Amino acid sequence: MQTLLQLLFTTLQIGAVVVLFALGLTLIFGVLRIVNFAHGQFFTLSALTVAVAVPALVQHGLPVPWAYVLACLAGVAVATAVGMLVYELGFRRLERDMVGSFILSAGVVLLFEGLFLEVFGGAVRPVPPLLDGHVTLGGLSISAQRLLLCGMALTLTLALGWLLSRTRFGRSLRAVAIDHEAAMLQGVPYRSVAMRGFLVATLIGAVAGALTAPITAVSPTLGDAYLVKGFIAVIIGGLGSVAGAIVGSLFIAFIESFGGFYLDSSSATLATFVLVMLVLLVRPKGLLGHG
Amino acid sequence: MEYGGFGALVEDMPKYGTLESMALTEQAANLSNEHHTTYKETTMPSNPTRTLLTAFLVAVGGGAALNTAAAETIKLGLSVPLSGAGANWGKGGEWLCQQAAADVAKAGGVKVGGKVYQFECVAYDNKYNAADGARVAQALLSKDKVRFIGGSLGTAPVRALQTRTEREDVLLFTVAWGASIKGPKFPLTFTQMNTPNEISLPLVRHVKQANPAIKTVALLNPNDATGQETEQIARKAWAAAGVTVVSSDWYERGTSEFQPAAAKLAAQKSDAIDLCSSPPADSGLVFKELADMGWKGVKVVQVGTGADGLVATGGPATEGAYLGAAITFDGPATSPLQRRLNDGARGILGESLNAVQIGFYDAVMALKAAMEKAQSIEPAAVAKALPQVSFDSFYGRSAFGGKDTYGSPQQMLVPVIVTQLQGGKLVEVARLAPAELRERGVQ
Repeated sequence: MQTLLQLLFTTLQIGAVVVLFALGLTLIFGVLRIVNFAHGQFFTLSALTVAVAVPALVQHGLPVPWAYVLACLAGVAVATAVGMLVYELGFRRLERDMVGSFILSAGVVLLFEGLFLEVFGGAVRPVPPLLDGHVTLGGLSISAQRLLLCGMALTLTLALGWLLSRTRFGRSLRAVAIDHEAAMLQGVPYRSVAMRGFLVATLIGAVAGALTAPITAVSPTLGDAYLVKGFIAVIIGGLGSVAGAIVGSLFIAFIESFGGFYLDSSSATLATFVLVMLVLLVRPKGLLGHG
Repeated sequence: MEYGGFGALVEDMPKYGTLESMALTEQAANLSNEHHTTYKETTMPSNPTRTLLTAFLVAVGGGAALNTAAAETIKLGLSVPLSGAGANWGKGGEWLCQQAAADVAKAGGVKVGGKVYQFECVAYDNKYNAADGARVAQALLSKDKVRFIGGSLGTAPVRALQTRTEREDVLLFTVAWGASIKGPKFPLTFTQMNTPNEISLPLVRHVKQANPAIKTVALLNPNDATGQETEQIARKAWAAAGVTVVSSDWYERGTSEFQPAAAKLAAQKSDAIDLCSSPPADSGLVFKELADMGWKGVKVVQVGTGADGLVATGGPATEGAYLGAAITFDGPATSPLQRRLNDGARGILGESLNAVQIGFYDAVMALKAAMEKAQSIEPAAVAKALPQVSFDSFYGRSAFGGKDTYGSPQQMLVPVIVTQLQGGKLVEVARLAPAELRERGVQ
């Protein structure tokens, strides 16, 4: 029972990061009908900025929590600004162009990986933990840092749900995702909604990167592993579906956690791909896909 | 077409041959020197025709001199990861190759057959995979016509490179750990760093002596060619030390989450956990998760190459970990050469040098010694001379050996340095010099 609880909590912890990553991917697809493979670069840029800023701020005498808050804000701001630059210069011109956007995003990945390597170096950067110690829940020893990440992921997911269902902007996003021409006929400003949709998606990815920095190996290739997981999650859940991204992410995390324990991590990765194939055979548009 | 065209002209060109071209070059150089002397003696720069002729001949002579120098440069090809997670290993290896080439140049170059040669390092990105390794092999051997590989990294890309080097008489140095790439079948392949075969037994013996309570161990390796070969060697070493291997697991290189693997390792309740060939950053994450789960035991990373990545991701959870391929640079035994190179590397890479990168420096020194011994720059002759020479490596005097293990002397003999993380710092706890070096009187 103890092991089962431990594995369930591991599922939630792994799922928390993947959910944040997948939400960004699915939002961009929903609004712009493009698959943004460069999403991981904004995630990485945010984490790298945090990894550079936290030790520097602490060295200047700032307490760790404040250093962390400022570094996170800087990381999210830098990554989002760069994301918007990429949108304005590239993706805006390739809306609803799957092939063009695929080539562009692949190029952006290569460009940013090279730039990160030059600017930040290839070494793994240490990030001091925001919260030290453990919390005991139901006989389980859980890292306080991980618990915070889960809480933040849950809050962000709920906030996004509220944004999409309760605000005028959210309703516009959903309308555009369902049928952008019909939405435009109803007076929805497509260009503005698409730009703000990309902004929100990049922002979520940047927040995920900043939060993940203290619990992972921060290097220029950090986003690669999450991109694969996030992409699989939205494929399973259904491209463009927010609920699908959440379900897909938890599905991936479940296989990684239980498969990694009862088989091994390598077999769990293999099992993930096999299950993706099975899901796509049964439901080609994903579990909750409609487009 | 009546005049034979350009095709006929091009076809005629090879008839001049290399020797003739060189003779013409020498004549041009001599003429240039003569005119230069005349100019100095007569001091008549006012004659514009003479000045222009002199300038022309100096330019031609200079070009010829440059061409001659280029002909005396030996290219050392490097197949290394320059992007992705292993980029720092590749960049560090390339930088050390360049440093060694500069040190050789400062010491007067490589003297063979009355000529002086210099080394030039040419690196390509193998991305740590077989497909790009094959592409790099094509670039180095077909485009650059490289006849010496000064260093190559990653068992999979090295296998791709080796399929051509052995067939095409190219000498290959590698820091790949796989034992399957060595032996009498591969007479032109040499390993320039300690591999699990050299590290595993002495390290495990030392760990067991320091921690006699260890009865069981659990192993974890990346699921690739390097990991699979290391696992077999590690398993034998622990068995030889009287320790039972209770489990052996695998993970995909590039994995970002180690909680499931750590949960499985912790559930074994073993006295020790050996992460074998896992990279430092991955090892740090595993130890951190293990600490979060309350596991307390002896931590070992057999082929742990450095403390920086380990501590960066694992923090205090890595305390006490034993590493078999890391080097300390702050002790009194650190030589000026080691300090200079490490300081330079830290400025570029942001972390200390490790044994993988150091091999690239040592390969250049070994090549210089073997070429001068053989008095040849033919790869086959140099390969024959390599086991006969001793040379100054990064670690001190070194040579090639390992015939008992591999069937032929292809392994660079350098000390196994056992280090441990104590108080967040890497401390050398044992230095085990290869017995073969002592027996041969090299050290």
